[in-house]
Amino acid sequence: MNAIEVEHLRRVYRAQIGVFNRSIKEVVAVDDISFDVKQGELFGLLGPNGAGKTTTIKMLTTLLIPTGGSASIAGFDAVKQATDVRRRIGFIFGGERGLYWRLSGDDNLRYFASLYGVDPAVSKKRIPYLMELVGLKGRGNERVGGYSRGMKQRLHVARTLLHDPDILFLDEPTIGLDPVGAREFRSVILNLQSQKKTILLTTHYMFEADALSDRIAIINKGCVIALDTPGGLKQHVSDLSVVEVETFGTSEEALGKLRKLPFVDALSVEDREQKQMLLIQTTRGAEAVPDVMNALEGQRVGSVIVREPTLEDAYVRLVGGAA
Amino acid sequence: MNTIIKNTRLFWQGTLLSYRALFAWLRPVTYMASKIIMPLAQMFFFVFLGTYASGGKNASFFVIGNAIQITSISGIFGVTMSVGGDRDAGTLPYLFGTPANRFMIFFGRAFMHVIDGAIGVVIALTWGVLLMGLDLSRTDMPALGLTILITTFSTCGLGLLMGCLSLLTANVMFVNNFVYFSLLIFSGANVAIESLPAWMQVVSNILPLTRGIAASRALVGGASLNDILPLLITELGIGLIYGFVGYVLFAWFETQAKQRGTLETV
Ligand SMILES: Nc1ncnc2c1ncn2[C@@H]1O[C@H](COP(=O)(O)OP(=O)(O)OP(=O)(O)O)[C@@H](O)[C@H]1O
Ligand SMILES: [Mg+2]
Repeated sequence: MNAIEVEHLRRVYRAQIGVFNRSIKEVVAVDDISFDVKQGELFGLLGPNGAGKTTTIKMLTTLLIPTGGSASIAGFDAVKQATDVRRRIGFIFGGERGLYWRLSGDDNLRYFASLYGVDPAVSKKRIPYLMELVGLKGRGNERVGGYSRGMKQRLHVARTLLHDPDILFLDEPTIGLDPVGAREFRSVILNLQSQKKTILLTTHYMFEADALSDRIAIINKGCVIALDTPGGLKQHVSDLSVVEVETFGTSEEALGKLRKLPFVDALSVEDREQKQMLLIQTTRGAEAVPDVMNALEGQRVGSVIVREPTLEDAYVRLVGGAA
Repeated sequence: MNTIIKNTRLFWQGTLLSYRALFAWLRPVTYMASKIIMPLAQMFFFVFLGTYASGGKNASFFVIGNAIQITSISGIFGVTMSVGGDRDAGTLPYLFGTPANRFMIFFGRAFMHVIDGAIGVVIALTWGVLLMGLDLSRTDMPALGLTILITTFSTCGLGLLMGCLSLLTANVMFVNNFVYFSLLIFSGANVAIESLPAWMQVVSNILPLTRGIAASRALVGGASLNDILPLLITELGIGLIYGFVGYVLFAWFETQAKQRGTLETV
């Protein structure tokens, strides 16, 4: 049996627009999504903003009723057997909300432990263990209102492990964490993975998805557009290489010229403080460099690197450069 | 047997923590003020106003009425905060994502306020005895205690219903204030019910507090538990009805929110 089975899941929101002349607008957040996650697998769910990732996770965690299709979690139907599902899953929606700020960290955990029906004798031992696991040892008696954002997110991780669930849904758990915090977080996730927990993870950090996931589904506009291992996804772009050009204030005109070059498959620009990184996907490899430099004539150019494609490049090609 | 003990401990733990999580005043000082100063202010105001308007002999009418009505600080404001507070805390998805029994969650939220409200009434009555000449020498005290508890319970029932409304719409504090001040009149705390227009008497009769206040006045006047038992039973029934309607609304809110995707819209 798979830990998670999703079949033709669909969700349409009806949003009311306008205050006075009320009209209803339908938003298809999840159009038609199917995938399976095996037991013990770490499954990444990637996709641009608004692709339907959070909506999907809400349906899998029994918090939203699907418009169509079905999902089974640990063999239980997410709608009809919601309570059975809830006992076996943990979930985090990234960010710092969702905790009782007036209570201490420990008391937040005590409260949620009581909601999950964890025997007080068990939670008494488990809470200090979890606080240590997420790096909050010694801070448990402080009020959560005084925690930093990262600390609150760590507390969420401890919260979701209270009842020792087999399946975890983590929606952007590392959003807003500092690099060291994010790294520690990943080691917690790897630790959970080694305990054979099934994990469904969404993130906008491609290297993170690459490093952690066994398999990845990329979704766009509510549909799965690719589903493979990270290696398999990179195969989609194995013909490509990426020319990275560091520039300082490139003109729109020069960018336009670059885009028109026949061998440029995709161009994206990343702003990094005063400089910009031009990421050019091409099948020509290093041979493309002279033409690229020609197109950039008159612009201030720093380093130029030609490299192998990463998961991010595969993602950009699959999603169509829109991300 | 073990599961009963375990479940009782869980209920207690959850009840106490949710009380502190969602309601308890941020500082003990604010809490003390709301428990000790505020009742005194309200009682002074209405007792002086009332005796000025209707003659000094009537002081105990206003003292008892307002002392009992004090319970709605906990019953209305407190319970509403405890039920509706999850919306502001952003905890609704995490709360409804647990397998916890909704009935327990819901009534657990009101539990401490019943105790809290009863303590408030006792403090207010103490002010009455100390400063406003309230005479409890003829009063059946255990019966008065029971009356306070039941009245507080039924007021919390109304509070549970209000709390559910605050989950559904954001501006409930306004409605709450309206309910609180309406109770000052409709419950008969400050006006004899018989002197109200007929339609207002109808409202009085379907609100909590009304019978609790009447029963308390009778007890202070020397009545026995037997005399007021019918009042108490009806008061209890009213509280149960409000609480039950509140619970139905709470369950409906959860289903609706899951259907419409509004669980975390503030
Ligand atoms: N409660 C809601 N009511 C109406 N529309 C909604 C609601 N929640 C989400 N949507 C819409 O559904 C679509 C999918 O949103 P969703 O939050 O699932 O995207 P996402 O993939 O999680 O995006 P992000 O990466 O930005 O978190 C969006 O168009 C969004 O506007
Ligand atoms: Mg999202």
